[in-house]
Amino acid sequence: MCSTNRMPRVFITGLGFVTSIGNDAATVTRNLRELRHGFELYPPFQKPDIPCKVVGTVKDFNTDSPDPEDWTFPLRYKIKRELLRSMAPNGLFAHCAMLQAVEDARLADPDISHPLTGLYAASGGSPFLTHWHHERLLKVGVMRCSPLGIVAAIVGTLNFNLVAAFKIRGASCGFSSACASSAHALGFAFDDIALGRQQRMFVIGAEDGNVDAILPFAGMRTLSLQTDPNIASRPFDAARDGFVGAGGATVVVLESEDEVARRGVKPYAELLGWGQASDGYNVAISHPEGSGSTAAMLNALRASRVEPEQVDYVNAHATSTLIGDVSEARSLRAVFKNAATRPAVSSTKALTGHGLSLAGAQETGFCALALREGFMPGNAHLTKVDPECEGIHILRATENTPPTIVIKNSSGFGGANVALVLKRVA
Amino acid sequence: MPEAVQPSSGTNKPFPPTPKPFAPEDEAALREALKRCSPSAFESAVQFRKTGNAEHVPAVVIGVIERFVEPDLRTKLKDADDDLRLIEDLGIDSLTMMEIVILVEDVLQMTINNDELRNLRTVGDVKTFIDCKIRGLPLPKPTKFLPIEHIGAVMPIQPPFLFLNEASVSSTAANGKYKITGQEFFLQGHFKDNPVMPASIMLEALGQLAVLYLLEGHIPEPGKTVNPAQIFFTGCEGVRAHRQCKPGDILTLSIKPKRNKMPLATFEGSIRVGTEKAVIAEEISLIFGYADAVNQPVPLNGATAESGVNGAAASIPAADSPPLRVAINA
Repeated sequence: MCSTNRMPRVFITGLGFVTSIGNDAATVTRNLRELRHGFELYPPFQKPDIPCKVVGTVKDFNTDSPDPEDWTFPLRYKIKRELLRSMAPNGLFAHCAMLQAVEDARLADPDISHPLTGLYAASGGSPFLTHWHHERLLKVGVMRCSPLGIVAAIVGTLNFNLVAAFKIRGASCGFSSACASSAHALGFAFDDIALGRQQRMFVIGAEDGNVDAILPFAGMRTLSLQTDPNIASRPFDAARDGFVGAGGATVVVLESEDEVARRGVKPYAELLGWGQASDGYNVAISHPEGSGSTAAMLNALRASRVEPEQVDYVNAHATSTLIGDVSEARSLRAVFKNAATRPAVSSTKALTGHGLSLAGAQETGFCALALREGFMPGNAHLTKVDPECEGIHILRATENTPPTIVIKNSSGFGGANVALVLKRVA
Repeated sequence: MPEAVQPSSGTNKPFPPTPKPFAPEDEAALREALKRCSPSAFESAVQFRKTGNAEHVPAVVIGVIERFVEPDLRTKLKDADDDLRLIEDLGIDSLTMMEIVILVEDVLQMTINNDELRNLRTVGDVKTFIDCKIRGLPLPKPTKFLPIEHIGAVMPIQPPFLFLNEASVSSTAANGKYKITGQEFFLQGHFKDNPVMPASIMLEALGQLAVLYLLEGHIPEPGKTVNPAQIFFTGCEGVRAHRQCKPGDILTLSIKPKRNKMPLATFEGSIRVGTEKAVIAEEISLIFGYADAVNQPVPLNGATAESGVNGAAASIPAADSPPLRVAINA
């Protein structure tokens, strides 16, 4: 228990990554510093009737088959058929990221399967497996369908699988606010620890990142149609033309200060607090002035007892869409009114693409790496800043200046906005 | 052939009615379906689909089960006896059982109802079940696993003279376990300062298992039920004791019916402790009588195949949780 009556502080003590820019923290850190992207021409998209071509792909994993026993993944991950059979591709990515995070945080089994250890997860489910199982149902009849088709496919598949596989006994839940999902999961996981309900939370974001997950966004005209992987994702740039889809998984381990002290681990960073607010505007289009995003950041700063002038770096939500990036730039100008003390801003989606439900957890993981390693990743692929996005301090290159206070922004459909405030651990 | 009960549905037609010609594309589909099974399972499936000969079925079924068992447990299947239990010994849960069934259905081109699966507990149950389906024979009475509460409720013999802790009963055999606690009243005097389970009591335990078989495994004449108040010991032959059994020992008892015609039922029986032989009885004979069956209300869970031989048994909740009822928390 906490020594005083104040709320326990919350720290990030472990990370796990399966991303388009690397499948471990060291590789991800290097690629963030050196601004190396994870894009390639995605083979299934190289067809005349598919307008988008580039995807932020997960390397060293092959999950093209609907049968998990056909999948290939790095040998260091040993996963029994019994666990694999109910997974979607995002479940496999997340399971591997969990194993990394558990090792990284040096957690033992009794700490993981503990009444005060919970798990919050976010993915869009698996449109790929939903599609496949439904097609099979129509073709061979429901009684010849896999009994595990549902838990492998529906939204929630991530938490069902991980809670069972890792024998989680505390709080568990899935979050669904589209691209703000895993940021919401982090926020509510923070609350659970701060309120003393849990002492440790795993927070996971993951997405399949395959045809069925990404292509429907082309129908919304939100995907970049660029054929050159080197310039497809360019948040805040005047020539940006949409986001690049991506898959993968990130796991963030949050722990109370007492657990950090008891276990004697060195945290990546402290999660000071968070805030959220909604646009109340449109089902899919962000508010032109970024009103919800502004309110979310102000709420987060107030909850964290941090003044806007103290913020050193903002990892923007900016996905490289025409409307969204401008909304966020306006909200950043509104929150950080004093032009002289505006924080550095970058969107690492220029490197990774947009991981949808995965984005919030993935980029919070990036912020944790930046805080521990002492750098601020640049905003890659920026040639000419969109005039509408001027006035904010966009980093053109990585700066090796250690930030102290960092904000992570996330926004999702329906105008949901989340901001998380992180602090360097001395 | 095992004695049999009529299946709840009358649709158990022989398969295949007339073997369909086995086309090359069928073979390709079969190869794909069995791609993670042993080559012999595939070969047997091809033979079965070409000829309809049921003797190829066990190899297919074992091959399919093997494919779903974790690799480190597969050795158990290599020289499996039919008592190998799917859940306890092979780690197969109800979802895996369904995966097995779906693949067997697909490969053997048959349809299996959920109700029919509920009582398949051992490898032998599965083999016999599929074999009966293929041959169009009535389905055998499935193995029932009875905990002490159930045994106590149906048996005319009661503690402190009941020497069964748990039992499983099918139409072809009954198996039971009894742990010698050391608290048995007769051990105070048998022997002085040296508690040894009397051989006569061990024979009694085998007899009790035979009584349980008559009540739970024996298939009475239509409209009749075995009367628990009319079962008595009448004789035994070829009884030998091989081992002293003492407190802490777990007796594994088994009996098999040899002849069974009212009023005489004859069994062979044996008791083991671990792998050691303890008692052999070449023949144990009981006499029994029938009573008129009371019409039983159909259980609400629809388990019509459980033909509740005994009035008391019907009021006991099904001891074995249905293995194939998946908890849907959706």
